[in-house]
Amino acid sequence: MTPFDYHRPETLAEAFRIAGAIPGARYVAGGTDMMVRIRSGRERPGALISLGRIDTLSRIELGSVTQIGARTTIGQVLEHPELTAAYPLLALAARPFASVQVRNLATVGGNVCNASPAADMAPVLLALDARVEIEGPQGTREVPLDAFFKGPGQTDLAPREVLTSIVLEPPRPEARSCFLRRSRVGMDIALTSVAVHFQLAGNRLTRPRVAAGAVAPCPLRLRAVENLLEGRAVDAALLDEAARLAEGEIAPITDIRASASYRRRLTSTLVRRAITAACEESR
Amino acid sequence: MNVECTLEVNGSSTTLQVAPSARLIDVLREDLGLTGTKEGCGNGECGSCTVLLDGRPVNACLLVALEVEGRAVTTIEGLLGPGGKLSHVQQAFVETGGIQCGFCTPGMIMSATALLEATPAPSDAEIRDALVGNLCRCTGYAQIIESVRAAAELIGPGSGGETPR
Ligand SMILES: Cc1cc2nc3c(=O)[nH]c(=O)nc-3n(C[C@H](O)[C@H](O)[C@H](O)COP(=O)(O)OP(=O)(O)OC[C@H]3O[C@@H](n4cnc5c(N)ncnc54)[C@H](O)[C@@H]3O)c2cc1C
Ligand code: FES
Ligand code: FES
Repeated sequence: MTPFDYHRPETLAEAFRIAGAIPGARYVAGGTDMMVRIRSGRERPGALISLGRIDTLSRIELGSVTQIGARTTIGQVLEHPELTAAYPLLALAARPFASVQVRNLATVGGNVCNASPAADMAPVLLALDARVEIEGPQGTREVPLDAFFKGPGQTDLAPREVLTSIVLEPPRPEARSCFLRRSRVGMDIALTSVAVHFQLAGNRLTRPRVAAGAVAPCPLRLRAVENLLEGRAVDAALLDEAARLAEGEIAPITDIRASASYRRRLTSTLVRRAITAACEESR
Repeated sequence: MNVECTLEVNGSSTTLQVAPSARLIDVLREDLGLTGTKEGCGNGECGSCTVLLDGRPVNACLLVALEVEGRAVTTIEGLLGPGGKLSHVQQAFVETGGIQCGFCTPGMIMSATALLEATPAPSDAEIRDALVGNLCRCTGYAQIIESVRAAAELIGPGSGGETPR
């Protein structure tokens, strides 16, 4: 493993200063992606800047908006009963995530910033209309999560910027949701994942959100499916049409885990099942 | 250039010089001589390097040693009681045949210890979930799950578990 220097700033200002002073310095949170990349030689950072001692990055606040600090681990999400009660989707994605050991290290912010097409928190955060708060030497800005992903491993972050928190709207009344994920074996990255979130007014869906992972260069919202579902009552014909539209919105690849056509079929099936399961979810 | 690092391992504090990029597993094994913690894959997949950080299982192969300064690290060596007495979980693995070659065992025992601390009477599903990140190529897992069940019996109801912090 190529050696690197390791910095542990206690404030964001100090982190920005170090990032500006050392060419090739990279931020690290839980290190579960970064350390693996360094060990394989895919990444040779000039230095690592740990975000672990910047306390403001690990708070969780529920209020007029909900803030989940970027440094919150997947394990800490599961250990926060108010948060998972307010947003059951977060727990659905966090529970099967990797292993206990990895969940205790891996952060929500790292999952998003790593921008893997298969990142498990991404579809559920997209379905929750998440925004990300970003801070850099020039100030703070907020971006909708679906504008943050730019490609595999690529985000909207400028070189010294840090993702500070995930911002969610308060939980919606009569909200229904579901997250389905398929992988070859338990601890393997998703072949396909689908998250849905909507409100039920009588039997009609309002503000539907449907997002998918591992089937395009970035995790993405399936907007044609969302538009179809708006204001409609679910029946077999609607589910058929939703499944058909979902296949048209994704661009899966063939790799060692599965073929593109298999991923396409799987996605349309998961879309159909997730909508059905969310409608049937009792509160 | 090496830097100073103070680690709290198994209840005692040690200050040593480490390379900034040294991983926790490197320092435990090479500098502190705690070779109970094993390196299998080095990539977070196999769990043979599992140690407890403030009581929670983590992969020592993914952690930079400097990152855990000021936090409590427990390794398999830290589970021994006075006079080298095995912990209930260790005892249960010995008696129930949860060990064959033994390479995965320290990691398995650390994961099981943390599980029983939080959930003294786990279901089989909870045992399996707690051990998802620990691979074993010998036992086929059945005896390991049985060992964890046996450990839960040994610890008994009403006990607060046995993780030393
Ligand atoms: C064995 C194993 C199993 C895994 N299983 C899963 C799985 O089931 N599902 C899944 O989605 N992922 C999985 N992963 C991948 C990984 O654990 C997750 O992506 C994790 O959430 C990354 O978070 P981290 O804090 O460890 O990121 P790090 O490795 O610390 O960082 C990842 C990237 O994001 C950047 N970064 C991190 N935080 C910030 C920030 N706040 N601001 C700016 N940049 C930042 C870093 O510079 C780096 O480029 C697995 C990894 C391993 C090793
Ligand atoms: S050696 Fe750490 S998980 Fe395999
Ligand atoms: S006993 Fe040999 S790997 Fe588990």
